[in-house]
Amino acid sequence: MNSNFNLKITLPDIPDIELVALEGLESMGKYLGIAEDKIGEAKIVVNEAIINGFEHSGMDNPYVNIEFIITKEQLTILVTDYGKGFNLDEVKEPEIAKKMKSINKRGWGIKLMKSLSDDLKIESGPTGTKISIIKKLI
Amino acid sequence: MNEEFTLQSEKVGDSLVIKTGGYINNVAGEKISQIFSDNSNSDIKNAIFDLKKSKVINSIGISYLLEVIELLSEKNGKIIFLNLDPSIEKTFKIMGLFQFSQTADSLESALKVLS
Repeated sequence: MNSNFNLKITLPDIPDIELVALEGLESMGKYLGIAEDKIGEAKIVVNEAIINGFEHSGMDNPYVNIEFIITKEQLTILVTDYGKGFNLDEVKEPEIAKKMKSINKRGWGIKLMKSLSDDLKIESGPTGTKISIIKKLI
Repeated sequence: MNEEFTLQSEKVGDSLVIKTGGYINNVAGEKISQIFSDNSNSDIKNAIFDLKKSKVINSIGISYLLEVIELLSEKNGKIIFLNLDPSIEKTFKIMGLFQFSQTADSLESALKVLS
């Protein structure tokens, strides 16, 4: 059995398109016999990365590229958009108590990606954003 | 996986029992929040969310659950989650949702907590 898979998808900005990527990830995970809880956590990470990509993709480039490289031991996720980017230094760590009193209850994506992965790198600039994530699967 | 979002609600005393199916995204979250906004002047002060058939959620959907938690907290109400997928439960823990809500093993035990 091949134990190393690579899946690349270009996602247009249409409702629920992120489920296509999650389904691909789940299929590969099941085939490799990876624990459901690890794949479940990876799906949360991927979902947040895709949402982040679309939010910063800009009107001219409303698509996000996602690439999975998966073995039984490790999942590497690369999410790229070609939009306007964002300043990572301006992203505040969300706190539930403050969010409960705030009109803006969003802003959890990066915290979730960090917390549920083993390594997270975000490179963002005026021509786009690349998020590289590693999640150990054993 | 891409099943349509479904929502069932039932009033039990001063609690609203919500059963969802499918992906809880921005649209689904708004539908959930709307039910509680529509009932903001009623005697409903507690919520029981049974997410057994919702295996995928995103942070935008969760932000609408925070709205519900805020609304019911103002009424000194309680929020209880049932049948959380392990990854969703872990996500809620990371976000700190259980500072303002709890889990229960069954609807019966949830209603007992609220009685």
